[in-house]
Amino acid sequence: MKIRREGRTSLSMLKRGQRAKVIQLNITDKALRRRLLDMGITEGVVVKMKKIAPLGDPIDIELRGYELCLRKADLDMIEVEVIS
Amino acid sequence: MRIALVGNQNSGKTTLFNLLTGTNQKVGNWPGVTVERKIGIIRGTDFEIIDLPGIYSLSPYSVEENISRRFLFEEQVDLILNVIDATSVERSLYLTTQLLELKVPVIIALNMMDIADKRGIKFDLETLEKRLDTTILPISALKKTNVFNLIQTIKIGDYRRNLYQHIYDHELEEAIKRIEPLVETKHARFLAVKVIERDVLFQSYVTDAIEKIVSELEKKYLRDMEQVIADERYRYIEMVRDEAVEAKKDLLTTTDKLDNIFLNRYLAIPIFMLIMFGVYYLAAGPVGGWTVEVVDGLIGGLGEWMNSFLVNVGASPWAVSLVVDGMIAGVGAMMNFLPQLIILFILISLLETTGYMARIAFFLDRIFQKVGLSGKSLIPFIVGSGCSVPAIMSARTINDETEKKMTIMLTPFIPCSAKLPIITLFAGYFFGDRSGLVSASLYFFAIIIILSSAYVMKHVLFKGKTSSFILELPEYKLPSFRYIAYDVLTKAWSFIERAGSVILLASIVVWFLISFNFKLQYGVDIDSSMLAFFGKILSYVFYPMLGELSWAASVSAIQGLVAKEQVVGSMAIIAGYTSDVGEGNLIFNSGIFGFFTASSAYAFMVFNLFSAPCFGAIGAMRQELGTTKRMWKAVLFQTGLAWILAVLVFNIGRLIEVIL
Repeated sequence: MKIRREGRTSLSMLKRGQRAKVIQLNITDKALRRRLLDMGITEGVVVKMKKIAPLGDPIDIELRGYELCLRKADLDMIEVEVIS
Repeated sequence: MRIALVGNQNSGKTTLFNLLTGTNQKVGNWPGVTVERKIGIIRGTDFEIIDLPGIYSLSPYSVEENISRRFLFEEQVDLILNVIDATSVERSLYLTTQLLELKVPVIIALNMMDIADKRGIKFDLETLEKRLDTTILPISALKKTNVFNLIQTIKIGDYRRNLYQHIYDHELEEAIKRIEPLVETKHARFLAVKVIERDVLFQSYVTDAIEKIVSELEKKYLRDMEQVIADERYRYIEMVRDEAVEAKKDLLTTTDKLDNIFLNRYLAIPIFMLIMFGVYYLAAGPVGGWTVEVVDGLIGGLGEWMNSFLVNVGASPWAVSLVVDGMIAGVGAMMNFLPQLIILFILISLLETTGYMARIAFFLDRIFQKVGLSGKSLIPFIVGSGCSVPAIMSARTINDETEKKMTIMLTPFIPCSAKLPIITLFAGYFFGDRSGLVSASLYFFAIIIILSSAYVMKHVLFKGKTSSFILELPEYKLPSFRYIAYDVLTKAWSFIERAGSVILLASIVVWFLISFNFKLQYGVDIDSSMLAFFGKILSYVFYPMLGELSWAASVSAIQGLVAKEQVVGSMAIIAGYTSDVGEGNLIFNSGIFGFFTASSAYAFMVFNLFSAPCFGAIGAMRQELGTTKRMWKAVLFQTGLAWILAVLVFNIGRLIEVIL
């Protein structure tokens, strides 16, 4: 676990209904990173944790007026700053 | 004039395409790949329109996006018609910013305006048009609103040519301007951006002069340029959005309310099971079974009528036999479950268009992830209960290569509609009252085998690879009758075409092999027919699961390669030759298939269920897996496993019979 600044966490740690601003994508896999960028997860975008699958994973987030489902393992690599 | 239709998945692109072209469509594949290629002529014009795959971007990482960008970049395209979902403009415009970089005029069809209106999303179209320097037409493909205007605009040629472009920050725009004259292509701006992104497929365009500019940029930004460009594009879109789009925020939409039920922690799985039960009740269960009987009666009637007609006009016995025992019996066996298949297609189409299918993928991903598959694998598995061919093709939506390959190899294990007649026949005769239970047990068996095979493959063949899951969760939509009717008819028609071609041919071949001996004498005893000769060789392979050297069962099973329902068709043809009992269960009362017991019946079902699928599905596997070698591996894996399982089932079953 990396040491993070105050208020910073990974996207997978958000609670239902919480909003956060994306700070950084710590993803080495080029194809995956591009895919996430293409889907709108760019630096500074505000995302909201919307729904959790009944079995706890994946997670549905809201951004840019639509909803996107991602696995916790991938959300782990997205660093965010919690807004509310 | 040639128009390319481009848009995100779920943007209503297909509905618009059907509306613009009517019945004037051709379906084929893109050169070299199996991704569907649809071409049509716009009504009232001679303009050709090409429906590109639903995509989110023009990146080099997915097959669909690659095809689309190669087409747009390399081929002569006069106009791009970009369909945008008005309820999620931001993400949709991201693709638009990439399309605008090509030297081709773009018209934006702002689709689903009816829903956007209801939700209180307002557009300042004038500003939006000015900012993007392109023509925008608000439409609703579903309600057919303003589509006529769209056609008129295209016809008259009254649209903006998007000449002004300034999306990125100053440094980037400067670099693009410097690169543009250095590349030799019509689409200079597009290519300039690609080389800055360090796009792998455009590396050949990078000269020393260009390299210098790009590496200068990289030094300035100190970040990955692909990311910088994506960030810049979205930054620009946000700016445009703030200026021209007004939306109410944070309303609890109908979708959220429905998801509170359908994705509820306790209710999700029971609701899913209930829905799946409904699907099988209607398609495979009592309702579907009833339709089979009705059609069977009709075809039987047709056979008799044709028989007496041909005899009356004085046709020779072998000609009568060819038509009645060969063609009608063979093709008829397949047509029997066309209604059943149509019911299944309607239900699957409903699940897809309402948005529920995506939910299933979402909440079952956890389970599939455990065994190395994706929640998206479920879509092929469900579609596979209808037909493996579209199912294998639908595996394309799985982002991860390993998960995709495994899904393709395992999809044929799902009892497809063509395997249903085999199950219905054997379970109905040998298990009587418990036939429903036995059919269900086969589905259950299939699921267990799929999950355990996946688990083994993941841990042996593809060890240590991680994968990801990216799925847009669409809003719930009321199904459109027109769309579903179109979708179902297209699929049903391709099924009928197959029955009229491959199955007809196979039926004639079987009839020929069974009716003649090697001296080409007609009307020989069935035991000395050519078919019996080949079957006798094969029967040794089937002995361990049947407990009997049966050439008839062996050739019938092999014919599953042509089409699984042909197994039953062939058994019916062979049994018809050896007995003339028209009533009761002709197949198992005939001497030739009389040896079947409950154990060998179940084993035979298991073999047919898991062994290599029909040629159609093998072809689909070949194309989706990419190489013939991988296809052979898949086929051998499937057939080998089927044989082992069937032998196990037979011997365990026999043991139980002895004990009881």
